[in-house]
Amino acid sequence: MAEENYKEYLAARVLTDNRPATYRLLSRALKVNVNTAKQMLYEFHSKQNAKKPKSVHATYLLTGKKRSSEHSNGIKGKDGEDTVMRSSPYMSSMPEPEAPAEEPVSKTSIVLAREEELEKTKAEFDEITSIHIYSLEPGPIENLNVLSVCNQEVATEYANEDPLARWRVYGCIHNPYIKRRTTKYNPAPQKPATKPASKPSATTAAKKEETAAPARRGSASEANISGRSTPQPGPTTASLKRSDSKSNVKKNMTAGDIFKSFAKAKPKAKEAEKSKESTPAPAEDEQMQGMSEDEGDADDEPQVQFDKEKAETARKAREEREEKLRKMMEADIEMSDAPPEAENDSQDAPLDKEATSKSAESEATVIVQGGRRRGRRRVMKKKTVKDEDGYLVTKEEPVWESFSEDEPQPKKPKPAPKPASTAKGKKGGKQGQGSIASFFTKG
Amino acid sequence: MVLTDGDVLRGEPFEDPAYLPSRNASAYRPLHTFELPKGVEKHYQQQYADMYFLRLAQLKKFVRQNAKDAWEDFELGEEKAKYVERVLDVRQGELCWVVGTVYMEMNLKPNVLDDISKEHWIAAPPPRETYVSTSGRDDMMLEDESGRLRVTGDSLNTHYVTGCVLAALGTEQADGSFQVIATQYADLPRQPQRWEREDSELTVAKKPKPKREKAGKVAIVSGLEMTGKEDDDLTLDLLLEYLTGEATGPPDQSSVAKITRLIIAGNSLSHASPILSREDFTAKKGGLKKHYGYDSTSYNASPAEKLDSFLSELLPTVPVTILPGTSDPANVALPQQPLHPALFPLSRPYANPPAQSNETLSGLDSVTNPWEGDIEGWRVLGTSGQTVDDLLKYVDGVEPLEVMEMMLRWRCIAPTAPDTLWCYPFQDDDPLVVQDCPHVYFAGSMRKFEKRVIDGPAGQRVLLVCVPRFRESRQVVLVDMESMDVELVEVGVVQPGS
Repeated sequence: MAEENYKEYLAARVLTDNRPATYRLLSRALKVNVNTAKQMLYEFHSKQNAKKPKSVHATYLLTGKKRSSEHSNGIKGKDGEDTVMRSSPYMSSMPEPEAPAEEPVSKTSIVLAREEELEKTKAEFDEITSIHIYSLEPGPIENLNVLSVCNQEVATEYANEDPLARWRVYGCIHNPYIKRRTTKYNPAPQKPATKPASKPSATTAAKKEETAAPARRGSASEANISGRSTPQPGPTTASLKRSDSKSNVKKNMTAGDIFKSFAKAKPKAKEAEKSKESTPAPAEDEQMQGMSEDEGDADDEPQVQFDKEKAETARKAREEREEKLRKMMEADIEMSDAPPEAENDSQDAPLDKEATSKSAESEATVIVQGGRRRGRRRVMKKKTVKDEDGYLVTKEEPVWESFSEDEPQPKKPKPAPKPASTAKGKKGGKQGQGSIASFFTKG
Repeated sequence: MVLTDGDVLRGEPFEDPAYLPSRNASAYRPLHTFELPKGVEKHYQQQYADMYFLRLAQLKKFVRQNAKDAWEDFELGEEKAKYVERVLDVRQGELCWVVGTVYMEMNLKPNVLDDISKEHWIAAPPPRETYVSTSGRDDMMLEDESGRLRVTGDSLNTHYVTGCVLAALGTEQADGSFQVIATQYADLPRQPQRWEREDSELTVAKKPKPKREKAGKVAIVSGLEMTGKEDDDLTLDLLLEYLTGEATGPPDQSSVAKITRLIIAGNSLSHASPILSREDFTAKKGGLKKHYGYDSTSYNASPAEKLDSFLSELLPTVPVTILPGTSDPANVALPQQPLHPALFPLSRPYANPPAQSNETLSGLDSVTNPWEGDIEGWRVLGTSGQTVDDLLKYVDGVEPLEVMEMMLRWRCIAPTAPDTLWCYPFQDDDPLVVQDCPHVYFAGSMRKFEKRVIDGPAGQRVLLVCVPRFRESRQVVLVDMESMDVELVEVGVVQPGS
């Protein structure tokens, strides 16, 4: 059937639309082998020109060995032009003259020529190993670069086909060893097709929300809002789940510490308890978020995709929580909670947070490196890479270790956080903000 | 004239064309010699002096051994040459030899002290083509941890550059300079056997050695310099079609199927370096309003997209190793770290996620520059050419191949770093010192294609390849990994009316 279609296709494209068609485009359009497509071009070209001379114009691709004298002349001429100041080596006493004496390197030339230049180009060849029509155009073309439009068309219009199955249809060289990750971030605009895949993860996450900190939902919605929604593959769902649960456990533990300190500090234990549930979570989440943001770029690990409505409700819930939090914690913490929603990628978000946590920290007597928090995420990312899952950030201490380009002795802080944070825990008992900082340093 | 089955100038009937032979696997074992520590582990506070110190410490014993072999019995006027440990211990009139690091004092060479002392608001001078001053008043020094010794002598016509470690035999003159009679360098290090890493691992694991197929070819291309413009270049398309085996006729297509890996040796994008060249900077400054810091609106993604789609078309049929180069969006200091996967949204499904592993054995492997690894059992070392280009500025009338040879013989692939080549301040280990002699050493972004085979004292054989810039030469280098034969493939377009 392709045998019949090609005439129509070429007639429509070349004669009616006045657009060039390459063998590659033809093979994609008709789903035939490229070599067949080349023959079709030839057939069409000869038939049409037999009917009406000069109605179709062709370009040819020649492959072979060029005549050596010819090509060396060509090369030299070219070289001479742009290597004027390089000419000194030839005159100097360096052993340059020996080098060309080595056995000549075999050189294959692939040349694209219009039919006008075909005979002349053929004459330059010593031996032509293959020749075929590259493209057909309605008339002689002045700039051969217009042909690259065809290849752009191939790249854009036929991009959805499975690239690993191409060889079967088009006859490019097959490589059985190449693997393509199917669970990948799709750069194309978000497709609804990803939904089914993401559903299970959403439900699992939802389940967890019941058991763990409710604010998780907020972060999940953030992931969605941030526009990074990606298909959710099976295996990574599992790993993600694990990470969630892990981090939740941790959260609760650290939150417990904080709670203690809060209980000491403030008479309103109830509110403090609420805060313990909500405050640590957003912080942690946002953090994870930041990290996975990085990772998402780096290794395409997809994130959870949620339904829009869910995201909406989640956001509401989160906002409520935020409100409560704000009442209790004053302006400080609210900042750390809010940014990811709006400015996920911007540098400002971490900065703001740093400022707040920094001030808190100085009260909490965490040592010198107060102002150098910019690199915290980065640290965490590294930990992640080392992790067996690679994806997860659940270790507390490295997370909040400070890092900066200016950091003179970066290894010292590592052991520091632990004792410091416990000390802080006590100290923070007197000051509400200090205790938050202790959470930050700890994780 | 045309081979019959290569002649596709045939019409009907269309018989079903036979499938081309599949590509073989590329036996590929990258090494991670040049990967920098990540995150907090990476510091820029260290002194560069440590690098020179390390280099000297690592290479001194080899240089000394070579010098000892050569000069132990050397006598001049009944005076025996003796080894002096430190360059400052050289006594006047005494025949002796010392080992030290070369430092070239050249008037035209950029000097960091000048940069600091001069005003900052004056535009930097354009990068120099050469550091060799016409007056010939360039001094050469030999230094070690104790101090410096000015060296002179005719035997220095073998070109040395800052940073290489060598032994010099001579006497100190009345004016305090050291008159050199002869020099020695470390020469090629030990060369691993073919399949050495694989075999030793198999032996440890007590597994039998597999029967290995005949190795295919590796294609090396450099300087694609994609601009992302509409009519970017037809030659890039032709290259792509050639490598996927679509262009040309059956006989040529079958030979393309023997290519098992493509190495892109730098400069895949044009004008994408994070640090603008002088020309780019002025071009940019003219058109735009003053803008503090990075202006994201001026970013043009199309070159990167073009490269990405180029790679994603190639990757289903051939694995690709890509090195960053001068004009690529990577860090500018050597060793350049791999191009970030974020640049390749379409191609990165062919790479392993970095969280899993930092190497991809078949697919897209984004690697460092310089890079080394085992391909088909052979050790391959490659750079994108900055090291060679920079070294060429120190010397006059020397070919890139000679530079590459000397780098290996000095056992340092970037001797001029950190003097005139940006470089990470290594502290504990200098990976730029060559530990294992490669079998293939290529440098990208060269002016023209060249190749040479050099031999070492212990039977080492190294194939040196200069990979030309594709944008200018339209050439791809094919290295047969079985016979070490080198081939060239040139794509071209006959311009209308020529």
